[in-house]
Amino acid sequence: MADKRKSLIKIKPKKYKDGEVVKVSFMVMHPMDTGMGKNKKTKKIIPAKYIDSVKFFYNGKEITNMKVWESLSVNPVFTTYMKINGKGKLTVKYTDNTGEAHEKTKKIKPKG
Amino acid sequence: MQRRDFFKKLGTAAAVTAVIPAMSFADDAKPVSPNKMDFQTAVNAITGGKTPKPSKKVKLKVPEIAENGAVVPVTVEVDSPMTQSNYVKAIHILSGKNSNARCIDVFLTPANGKAMFATRIKLGGTQNVTALVELSDGEFLTASQSVKVTIGGCG
Repeated sequence: MADKRKSLIKIKPKKYKDGEVVKVSFMVMHPMDTGMGKNKKTKKIIPAKYIDSVKFFYNGKEITNMKVWESLSVNPVFTTYMKINGKGKLTVKYTDNTGEAHEKTKKIKPKG
Repeated sequence: MQRRDFFKKLGTAAAVTAVIPAMSFADDAKPVSPNKMDFQTAVNAITGGKTPKPSKKVKLKVPEIAENGAVVPVTVEVDSPMTQSNYVKAIHILSGKNSNARCIDVFLTPANGKAMFATRIKLGGTQNVTALVELSDGEFLTASQSVKVTIGGCG
């Protein structure tokens, strides 16, 4: 599992209660090459390299599953909502078309 | 012909022959999209032949004029209670004229609590952006908006 790409999970608001619906965003540094761009210096086509699947897990249970195609922007952001249901872990896993995989975990600690 | 002239001509000829093959080689290799799919095929592949209904429940937020086609923010929000029996199953974001019309397919569950998805997409030129929403009872809703792109984002 390659861990070289930087990624970040953000939860809004920062202080949340049990049972609240919060905004979760996952950001990852990824080139998202479509296979149609050219390197301006060497005039060669940049091979396709894009994220093809992103999954959100909450305590091991899959919440959101995304099938991604190549027309997302460079360094994509995935924002969705999630219902807080007790203490636990939020894990985001992605894979890309060249077989690169990555995962990021954030602890969920509801207050009150 | 003077000796000096001869060498000048020889030099320019050599330079031209050196440049031409490099240019023609670059033009020969045309980039091809890995998953080419036009808009209507993409819609049929998702809905399985059903015609989606335009609905006001689907709120699509896209800028009307995008200065940079490489980064176009898209937000889709659906009015739904998100209970075990009535929830939004999937949100698809499609572009009208990109070589691959499909941008992203998001499969939601009742654990999401709210049917909303936001991301940033690339647009190759001025075109429509469409959100296609599948409800848990098998119904398809849609909303679309045109986006004017000043600088193309593909490539």
